[in-house]
Amino acid sequence: MTDSNDRVGPLGRPSLISRRAILRAGGIGTAAIAGGSSLLNWARPAGAATNLAGAGEEIARTAKELAKGRHITLRILEPSGSLGNIKPVADLWTAATGIKVSYIEVPNGEISQKVLLEAVSKAGSFDIALPAGFSIPDLAASGILVNLDKLAQKHEPAGFRQSILYSASQFYKGNFYGYNTDGDTYLTFYRKDWIEDPKFAKPYSEKFGVPLAVPDSWSELDRQLAFFHQPDKGQYGGALFRSQYFIAWEWWVRFHAKGFFPFTDDLTPQINNEAGIQALAELVAASKSLYPGARTNGLFENFEAYGKGDIYANIGWGGTQKYLDSKSSIKGKTTYGPTPGGSVNGKLLKTPYFNWGWNYVVSTLSPEQEIAYLFTLYATSPELSTIAVRDPDGYFDPFRLEHYTDPEIISLYTPEFLAIHEASMKDSTPDLYMKGQGEYFDALRVNIQAADVGEKTPKAALDQTAREWQRISRRIGRKEQTVQWLFLKSLYPEGIRAQLS
Amino acid sequence: MRRTAGRFAVVIAMALALLPVFWLISTSFKPYDEWASAPPHWLPHHPTLQNYRIVFAPEAARSFATATAGTLDYKVSESAWRAFANSAIISTIATAISVAVGTLAAYGMLRFPKKHDSFALQLLSVRMFPPIAVVVPLVILFSALKLTDTHLGLILAYAAFTLPFSTWMIRSFIEEVPTELEGVARIYGMSQFGAFVHIVLPLIRGGLLATALFVFILNWSEFLLALTLTSGGIVTVTLQVANYVSASSGKLYGVQAAMGTISTIPVIVFGYLIQRHMVRGLTFGAVKR
Amino acid sequence: MARRRVARPNEQVESPVARRGPSLGFLLALPAHLLILVTVLVPSILVVWLSLTDWQPTQGIPWYAAPIIGLWNFSDLFNDQRFVGAVLRTIVIVVVSVLAELGLGLALALLFLDDWPWRKFAVAVIVLPMMIVPVDAANAFFMLFNERGPINQIIGLVVGHQYTFGWLADPDWALLPILLAEIWQWTPLMFLLLLTAFLSAPRNQWRAALSLGASPMRAFLRVLLPLTLPVILVAAIIRGIETFKIFDVIYILTRGGPGTATETISMFMYNGAFVYFRIGYIAAAALLVLVVVGTFCLALVRSLGRQA
Repeated sequence: MTDSNDRVGPLGRPSLISRRAILRAGGIGTAAIAGGSSLLNWARPAGAATNLAGAGEEIARTAKELAKGRHITLRILEPSGSLGNIKPVADLWTAATGIKVSYIEVPNGEISQKVLLEAVSKAGSFDIALPAGFSIPDLAASGILVNLDKLAQKHEPAGFRQSILYSASQFYKGNFYGYNTDGDTYLTFYRKDWIEDPKFAKPYSEKFGVPLAVPDSWSELDRQLAFFHQPDKGQYGGALFRSQYFIAWEWWVRFHAKGFFPFTDDLTPQINNEAGIQALAELVAASKSLYPGARTNGLFENFEAYGKGDIYANIGWGGTQKYLDSKSSIKGKTTYGPTPGGSVNGKLLKTPYFNWGWNYVVSTLSPEQEIAYLFTLYATSPELSTIAVRDPDGYFDPFRLEHYTDPEIISLYTPEFLAIHEASMKDSTPDLYMKGQGEYFDALRVNIQAADVGEKTPKAALDQTAREWQRISRRIGRKEQTVQWLFLKSLYPEGIRAQLS
Repeated sequence: MRRTAGRFAVVIAMALALLPVFWLISTSFKPYDEWASAPPHWLPHHPTLQNYRIVFAPEAARSFATATAGTLDYKVSESAWRAFANSAIISTIATAISVAVGTLAAYGMLRFPKKHDSFALQLLSVRMFPPIAVVVPLVILFSALKLTDTHLGLILAYAAFTLPFSTWMIRSFIEEVPTELEGVARIYGMSQFGAFVHIVLPLIRGGLLATALFVFILNWSEFLLALTLTSGGIVTVTLQVANYVSASSGKLYGVQAAMGTISTIPVIVFGYLIQRHMVRGLTFGAVKR
Repeated sequence: MARRRVARPNEQVESPVARRGPSLGFLLALPAHLLILVTVLVPSILVVWLSLTDWQPTQGIPWYAAPIIGLWNFSDLFNDQRFVGAVLRTIVIVVVSVLAELGLGLALALLFLDDWPWRKFAVAVIVLPMMIVPVDAANAFFMLFNERGPINQIIGLVVGHQYTFGWLADPDWALLPILLAEIWQWTPLMFLLLLTAFLSAPRNQWRAALSLGASPMRAFLRVLLPLTLPVILVAAIIRGIETFKIFDVIYILTRGGPGTATETISMFMYNGAFVYFRIGYIAAAALLVLVVVGTFCLALVRSLGRQA
């Protein structure tokens, strides 16, 4: 097991700055930026993953040793609906180690709160939890998550993280808190049969001078949405989300695609700059080409509506594809794309976005932290995570390179989808991994929706949001938020980070 | 003419009263594709016991689903037996404590009235506070006492929050017992407490039972305290319903309906048993038949 | 041994052990006091402390070490649109529900004043909603008001075309299913109360009025209603107080959404404390509510005491 401080970057050069040194120095500025990218360098593999066959068995053996002579049950707090991904792996674990696993199920919109409640109530009711990735900063700050740096150093096999395509959610202020175990990159869906149908393709190319194809930019997508939107014929442009919980994500991508970070380096919000207002205006304009349920529907209604076959485009995640490819009437008729990009410095910039994801974390109240950590290591190892992702009735989408070559997973998602999914995962911009994420995003959601329904102008909505963001940052503490923001900035994919200002 | 119009109105009222309950029961027998079908099916076209199977025997449900539907659509981790057991234990013990403490307090209030005793009113005001206002600090207090997510914690909370009901309800029953009876018993050498136990209690047996059932109903149906004072370790029947969500199908209406139907049966049974006393209970003894 | 008097007829016997009274009386009330102390009084003191801080678990410090910010929470609350909105919304819900329950209960009770063969059965059916676990009733209403559910189907039949309104997702109308669920569940209580009151009111005055030529409506308004007014008042007040605390229905149906369109006081505090974990701030809100309710109680009791 190598010391994780001696990581080799993708270009073969050792990373020059050790994480420990950064943190000791108080880590602001270039040090943190360099430190962050060194954390992720090994997660953006240039090629095939290291051969980790048998890693699962070895982890299980270590755990069995540690547990020798004792009767241990690991309690996992999991969001309801995810058991399908966890149980097969847990059963194998129990068979290999003799350590039992029990489940505590909570509604999936509440799991992060339940973990935070644990920090308050100190009930000690679980060892492992699966909160959403964006709540890691809040949970880490509250002291309920074990900093897994030491345990990872001790047990993590070399090259373990190399094939995990997205891992920005695993860190807070430079420390490691738990493996990402999901592939929630935001993707777009289109009707392939409509794109290829001359009935649509010919008038489109004649009218706009470009062939009808999967759009590369938001402006192209918006144009296509308007083109296909003919409600009197029962045909709709898009099934994009306009309900309050989901609406902000689309704006987030549109904004990044115009070439900006949400904060400046001193934590001043930029969301209400020209680009932000423009992005919101375009989002509101696109709402005109959406199906009637856009403002009210949540995830499952969205699947079903798009699956009925009278809408051109959709936006979603791997779960959307699982539904469309199995239960819908448009199976086989869809094609896919990353979230479209924008024009930055004269060139096309695509900014894929990872918005959700589940992470395995260990509770500081657990009496068996090491064994709990070993379970999470086991469950996210290449072999076992493949088994987990294979299950259709769970949330975990592919997140390791190995998943994309597994026949069962390929047949579950289709190869075309997986190609887009993999490319998008490799380049995904992180979510707002900061303390108070919920508050920042709620301010965004409420105001963006107000603009969408016409209650506020885009400028007023974003100005209001920026003011609220300033208030939130002040209340949480600007200094520590700035540290985390600069660290988060360094977790953006290198290519994209260079293009954003 | 007016009479038939009146009867007709009564029938409409009955239909409205029954509608949601009917829908709940009907949905509990519907297969997955009929839960939110368009147009809605008032009666299931293909009634099934699958939802009940999922509630009580998820393993059996799984094999049934694979055999018939070909997909493993329901992956619920636990059967609801544990939730029923938890609710039963917590409700029963909390009821016992509440009624016992309430009876003592009610008797004390009536037979030993103090000039400026505000305790009775304190109890009433406990009932008037929104529980959420007390829950926030209660969570912190319980965490210090290590009572979060324990049976004991919920039992204590339930007992306390139903204490006003039990005290005032039993007080109204004790008021109906003439004090002369105790006086006579005292003359024959019984202690005050003895009179209480041997004279008063047997006379209000029916009232005690009615109060106990009433309080049990309150405990069984309780939601907010169960939601906030537990973190997944203890699940009561009211919480269990919220667990029926699947990654690919969202809210499992049919399963929730099945759980709801079964879990509401005790309340219906007890409710009708004490129908006469419901009014007295819900008005803290202010209104009696 | 102290002499004990034999009670005269009709005399209210004073406890012969009044001298030892306090200790037995004290003991009898002790368990109740203890229970309330632990689960209600101590938390109330905690609330006072917490309301003076801005404690959030994400600050990483224990609650008793939170820095004091004085009365800033209260100032923020008064300026908080969301809080004020929640208060107003709650009052609206209370007033509308209680009035509707009273009105419907009254109308129903009047229908049951005379007797007919299946009357008992009818009462039993109408009383059913009270016996349903509120959470399950809320779930039933959730299904009923589904976009493609039976309510929309019925409306569609009436208006003649397909009707798929998303009640629970509409900020203007989401309150309606909530109100309906609450009214559905508690009108039977009002109905029972009023029926009891009407049936136990002395019939003589009512019959006398009727025989003197008053129309049934007049007899009702001038005779029956004033007799039963105290009961109606008590019922309305108690029902109002219980409705003020409404939570289960809103949690199941909308969680206070869309946005904050159906957020009541209880939902506001739940969201603030258990979703956003702004414990200090919500403690201030809780204290405000406790104080207001407490004052209201006190005023109520004093006025009732004066009446009695």
